[in-house]
Amino acid sequence: MGKVQDVLRKVKQKLRGDGNPTVAKIRRQRALRDRLWRGLPFIRLLLFTVGYVWMLVIPSSQLGQGTYIDENALQPGQVNMYWNWEEVHRADQILADLEQLRDRNATSDEIAQYSVAVFEKLGIPARTQRYSFDAVGQVINGTNAYAVLQSPRASGTEAIIISASWLSRTGEGDGTLNLRGVSTVLALAEYLKKYSLWAKDLVFVISDGYLDGMQAFISTYHGESQSNMRAEPLSLQSGVVWTALNIDYPGHSFSHLGLFFDGLNGRLPNQDLLNSVSLISRHSAGVPILIYDHIDPREARNLPSLLPSWFPKALKENPDVQEYAARARNIYRQVNYQARGAASGVHGLFHQFRIDAITLFAVPANGPHGFHALGRVLESSLRTCNNLLERLHASFFFYLLVGPGLFMKIGSYLPSAILVGTAMLFSGLGEWINAGWIHSIAQPAQGDHEENKKVATQAAVVKWRTRHRPVLQPIVIMVLTHLLGALLFFLVSSSWFSARRTMNGIVLFLAFSAIPLALSQVVPPSPASHASIPAVLKAFNLCFASALISITAVLNFPLAATLAVLLGLPLTFAPTSPPASPVPSRVAKYAAYATLALGWLVFCPEEVRKAVWNWEVLRVWFAPFVCVVYVPLVLQAGLVSLLPS
Amino acid sequence: MLTLFRLAFLASCLLYLVQAQAEPVAEFFGRQGSSHTNNWAVLVCSSRYWFNYRHMANALGMYRTVKRLGIPDSNIILMLADDAACNPRNKFPGCVYSSSAKTLDLYGDNIEVDYRGYEVTVENFLRVLTGRVEPSVPRSKRLLTDDRSNVFIYMTGHGGNEFLKFQDSEEISAFDIADAVAQMWEKKRQVYLPSLSAPTDRVLNACTRYNELFFMIDTCQANTMYSKFYSPNVLATGSSVIHENSYSHENDRDIGVAVIDSYTHYVLEYMESINKTSQATMQDLFDTYDPAKIHSHPGVRPDLFPRSLRDTLVTDFFG
Repeated sequence: MGKVQDVLRKVKQKLRGDGNPTVAKIRRQRALRDRLWRGLPFIRLLLFTVGYVWMLVIPSSQLGQGTYIDENALQPGQVNMYWNWEEVHRADQILADLEQLRDRNATSDEIAQYSVAVFEKLGIPARTQRYSFDAVGQVINGTNAYAVLQSPRASGTEAIIISASWLSRTGEGDGTLNLRGVSTVLALAEYLKKYSLWAKDLVFVISDGYLDGMQAFISTYHGESQSNMRAEPLSLQSGVVWTALNIDYPGHSFSHLGLFFDGLNGRLPNQDLLNSVSLISRHSAGVPILIYDHIDPREARNLPSLLPSWFPKALKENPDVQEYAARARNIYRQVNYQARGAASGVHGLFHQFRIDAITLFAVPANGPHGFHALGRVLESSLRTCNNLLERLHASFFFYLLVGPGLFMKIGSYLPSAILVGTAMLFSGLGEWINAGWIHSIAQPAQGDHEENKKVATQAAVVKWRTRHRPVLQPIVIMVLTHLLGALLFFLVSSSWFSARRTMNGIVLFLAFSAIPLALSQVVPPSPASHASIPAVLKAFNLCFASALISITAVLNFPLAATLAVLLGLPLTFAPTSPPASPVPSRVAKYAAYATLALGWLVFCPEEVRKAVWNWEVLRVWFAPFVCVVYVPLVLQAGLVSLLPS
Repeated sequence: MLTLFRLAFLASCLLYLVQAQAEPVAEFFGRQGSSHTNNWAVLVCSSRYWFNYRHMANALGMYRTVKRLGIPDSNIILMLADDAACNPRNKFPGCVYSSSAKTLDLYGDNIEVDYRGYEVTVENFLRVLTGRVEPSVPRSKRLLTDDRSNVFIYMTGHGGNEFLKFQDSEEISAFDIADAVAQMWEKKRQVYLPSLSAPTDRVLNACTRYNELFFMIDTCQANTMYSKFYSPNVLATGSSVIHENSYSHENDRDIGVAVIDSYTHYVLEYMESINKTSQATMQDLFDTYDPAKIHSHPGVRPDLFPRSLRDTLVTDFFG
């Protein structure tokens, strides 16, 4: 034992040298810190590169895995489906009635009353629900119709919602009607009532409008209210809703069933529901499945290739490149919906209440499928949802669906945004440290002239000394920019702005770019012995942005990725201007940042309208986020380059 | 004098009669068959929920077979962890089928479920086996075996390496069952047996709770469950070896779930060819095991069993 200790001591001495071990430790730590500091630009570059390249690699055909059913209770595709041509005939009859209602421009009330009448004739209790929203200068009215088919043998503690909105999701609610979707729901009600094997209540909802109707219904169902919503209370009660299926069938026939699953604020349903419906559709009903309505040009030869025409032919025909393009299209659409927090269909409104919901979109075509196939898919899917004994919890809630039957787990894509955030964090910390030190070159003592010249060049001593870093002023600047952002949001969501969006957009852009410019004149520059305000401001800005990206990444990865792309490089490389730099160059740099911050006011008025509408009606926090968080961050970076350091 | 002669003659006649009867009687009692006088069965389905329909069908199928072959309800303890027949998801309410032909309703007439729903716990199962039940437990829920009873224990559910899952919340291990069976072998039971001299006395009778025990289990890795038995007179069989799953046999597309497990299906199919007077032996039953059809490797553990399997009738345990 003693010998072992001797040997160990000798080894330690050799490795660490003689002398005081504490001194040696401090020397080691200093050496490490130096190496880290000197390598910081390289580390930063590495993190940025890996992060961005990872983001680009996400759609690669080498990543991803197959979807599978995780919840054992679901047992999808195990049942016979008895929905047949009689039921299709009934759906056709209902469709004819609905078309008549459409043709004579029936009001919402009349349509809802028709639905209620159909339900009541079947013996299913049904009611209407009127609602109205005050949103952005307009009043949205409508009437929902809903019916509750109580479970014949169970206690009805749980419910499944089967819904169809009056307006289809085509063109994100451009006014196309969803008549066949409504007919399917009404015909389904008649058919499902014949069976006594429902362990959960079935709630049929024919919601008015596109998203507004269901928002009114589901909020009232869960007892939530909004200040700008007035909705009649629901007189028919049912149980806790675990799953919901929304049907969207705008065309005459369909060739594929597209699955839409994005919810408000970037929430996703449990993947098991998607996988079950996909399996049932493909194997039991013979209807192929799509992600969204993206038909793969590799399967439908008449569709144009996804790759641009200027791509070299060899690459265009490479299967990996084609796969990359298909996946990239799916991911792009998913990022588009989720980053904006927008729901890709009526199903998106359910996720906020922990209801797993998807929309089955019948992709319009001259194709082979119609009410028959759709009814069978729904029947089997409802039997599967019926089998559930507890909320779906087994499969994934965070995923990127890259193709029908292919997905990526969170670990495959999340680190990309986190790495970019980390790079920004290191930059910010580097700036903070930098701001705290100033170096001066001290001249050696006077001596002989000739000797001095040689000695002077050799013995120029670089001395580092600490300096005070002003913290209060940068924080005040940050707070002021955020308050400015809040003011911007208030103005953007006001009715004044929505009156003439384009014009007012330009006005706001100029105004809010000018305000920081003007206010920067009143910022007193810090004394020379202290660190400059822009330097410290840049440090805080980067650290805050990094924290923002990291936190958002686990809530809403597409939003975090978008922030990483938009903020990563501009904020890290915000040039601090030396005190002697001319004003025009500084203003030019600031103008670039102002465009990055506020350019959307000018260039994307339609997006602004949608975002504000989403906030008003659906409480999507994308609009306030952009105004109160994103804009100030970029403006701060602009101020970094504007203020003289 | 004459009376004495008559008495002697009478005595010798009696002796002769007794002697004459003794041989066939001795033969009857002494043949190399089982020495049991009554049969009991403990049938346990340990899993609940709709998608475990097949486990309940397993247990009910075995119940029907055992009743058909002659064990009365009073001698059967049926434990079903859930009610598949009255589950709201059942398209055929009140019926449990074990094949998709749906020709035989296992939940038809005359079913007596002794332990139902949440009463099927590890504790209750072990109490039933060992006899350590509360005084308030009714006779129909007790295993009132004696040392001349042949006991058939059948268990089905979800299992693994040396455990069986009960009710989604607890497990019974192979050691627990082995110890319970050991207790059955050693258990001294109080028997109310008034003697002629003292009519009100209770006499403590030392008797085991089983004569021979046949343990059958159908779960994943089932054979591990009987690997820990150490009591004599136990014959055990299971549906699959370690690291092997047991598979369901058939899905019914109207009920929507699997309705019977492979192993139990083939065992019951064989049992359909057995009736009360059948001379088929346990070896015949085990010979019908076909791993290719069952999709797993059933096993048998005969080392604790004293008799040869060729001399043990199937009806020794099943009827």
